[in-house]
Amino acid sequence: MSIQVEHIQKHYGPFTALNDLSLSIATGELVALLGPSGSGKTTLLRIIAGLETPDSGAVRLNGEDSTNHSAAMRGIGFVFQHYALFRHLTIFENVAFGLRVQQRKLRLTRKQIRERVEELLHLVQLDSHARMFPAQLSGGQRQRVALARALAVKPKVLLLDEPFSALDARVRKELRDWLRRIHDNLHVTTVLVTHDQEEALEVADRVAILHAGSLEQLGTPQSIYDHPATPFVYHFLGNVNLFRGRLLADLSANSQANTELRQANTAIGFVRPHELEISLQPPQNDPSLAAKVIRIHATGPLVRLELSLMQNDDPVIAEVSRKQFEELALSPGEIIFLRPQAMRLFTDVGGEDSLLNDGAGI
Amino acid sequence: MSVGHNLPTPSILRPSAKQKVGRGVLIVLALLFLAIFLVLPLVTVFVEAFSEGWKIYRNSIQQADVLFALRLTCLVTGIAVPLNVIFGIAASWAITRFDFHGKTLLITLIDIPLAVSPVVAGMMYVEVFGLHGWLGPWMLAHNLHVIFAIPGIVLATVFVTFPFVARELIPFMQAQGSDEEEAATALGANGWSIFWRVTLPNIKWALLYGIILTAARAIGEFGAVSVVSGHIRGQTTTLPLQVEIFYNEYNFTAAFAAASLLTLAALLTLVIKKVIEWSSVIHYRIEAEIIEP
Repeated sequence: MSIQVEHIQKHYGPFTALNDLSLSIATGELVALLGPSGSGKTTLLRIIAGLETPDSGAVRLNGEDSTNHSAAMRGIGFVFQHYALFRHLTIFENVAFGLRVQQRKLRLTRKQIRERVEELLHLVQLDSHARMFPAQLSGGQRQRVALARALAVKPKVLLLDEPFSALDARVRKELRDWLRRIHDNLHVTTVLVTHDQEEALEVADRVAILHAGSLEQLGTPQSIYDHPATPFVYHFLGNVNLFRGRLLADLSANSQANTELRQANTAIGFVRPHELEISLQPPQNDPSLAAKVIRIHATGPLVRLELSLMQNDDPVIAEVSRKQFEELALSPGEIIFLRPQAMRLFTDVGGEDSLLNDGAGI
Repeated sequence: MSVGHNLPTPSILRPSAKQKVGRGVLIVLALLFLAIFLVLPLVTVFVEAFSEGWKIYRNSIQQADVLFALRLTCLVTGIAVPLNVIFGIAASWAITRFDFHGKTLLITLIDIPLAVSPVVAGMMYVEVFGLHGWLGPWMLAHNLHVIFAIPGIVLATVFVTFPFVARELIPFMQAQGSDEEEAATALGANGWSIFWRVTLPNIKWALLYGIILTAARAIGEFGAVSVVSGHIRGQTTTLPLQVEIFYNEYNFTAAFAAASLLTLAALLTLVIKKVIEWSSVIHYRIEAEIIEP
């Protein structure tokens, strides 16, 4: 089932949760809604589900206007952040719930319900837990039960609200891969809300980045990572260095600086850690930045260098291959020279200041 | 010898002789207070009731008036409790699950019977339904009797027991949140099946507790009922009123015999309350594990 969200507005008192947001999701797609808390992503998901009504705008499911349909009528499966399992029911009865409350004429027979529940418990690998209560299961197991319960009614859309955020890192990664496999098997249109950029980029077909109630960027994980549209997206995806200053010379080899930037008083430049060229001597003829090595992390395939700019003590992260690291033979305290190989420039609008200084990311 | 013998114990765990004396004095004081003000009067009720022997006691409580009062008390409690259960669930549901104008006002209104003296409550009903009250002449014309009749007693009892179920449920439902109900909605359940299959099973312990408190209050209510009943023997006397009637007639044995029935009812509700608390503690312990994965 396809989902179209058209010009949705939602206010809570003076707070604008969603501001004229439109989004289109194709049948069978897995889309992640990514954004910081307060960006409106959960509100959007709940509006798609029918658990929340928009102030204005429309939700179309398979082309049909469903804005005024109740959650029960929409044929959706919803997975909550804190599982929301029925604590007084066994795992079996939890999964069977949606089947048991169906209208009498649509309802399956007892035997069919049992078969369907057993099939789903097998899918989520909890066959032997059928008689237990939610309290007896671990967080990861509970979320699998919640997923089985949502899938029991054969929903045409599966909506997941930060489903893995309450779990520890290892379980989270496992469940993420597992969700992707289930999606590939069932081909059910899926919308996943998350604030974890790694999760969104890894699991989704397309990622929608939300900021302050608006859609900031929509695209495949690779296009979003390679071509962030705005400073906010750059900053939110993280793993990026930020340089700000007056644009005097063409610093980078393939800078996209345009006339607007030249006219602007100040600019922000984003450079990914692997896009910084490091040398022990200042490169001749080319401008460069002097930086001091603070710490060296050499525990991965790449060596990560924590640096501090000599001119203003701003922190900078650089990544070099192990081979290059051995050639450079760096040690903490050493002075090196940086030359960005690629840089994306934005005009430095005053309003973005607070946004960019909130410390996340870099 | 324990392993940790050489480790100094914090002073709070190893009281000095002086602290021991202080603690002992406090415990004795508390027990003495309880004995004089609670246990002694309670024992007196039964001692007085049986002072002239088992046979007299049995005759006292088998008098027509006492049996009638007992039946009326049961009837009034039997009406007041279900009404308050319905109201309590509806009010708590509205308050904890929806946002609407006047919500704070509703919460405040629920508390009024706790703040108002029961005698005043009784007088309010007399003022409204009494012969010279606002609705009195109209009701007389239609042959409806509220004041000095059983409907008035029921109304007064409902009034004073109004807050108990709602007061129990509101904080409980607030803490529980509406996650499970939303999950049920998303799974296609209608309002009725959400209530029976999800809400009610989750609130049952708090609800039972509220019912026990309501019943205890309904059985024992004196002030409000006294004003509206008119004390007509065999017609509008509940058990507490019957006790007063006997007492005013210097029929102490009968008064204490009737009082002993009320005391037994109170003790019984205390036991049920304790059992419920005990079962729900076990229940909550399981729930606590849900939060700690």
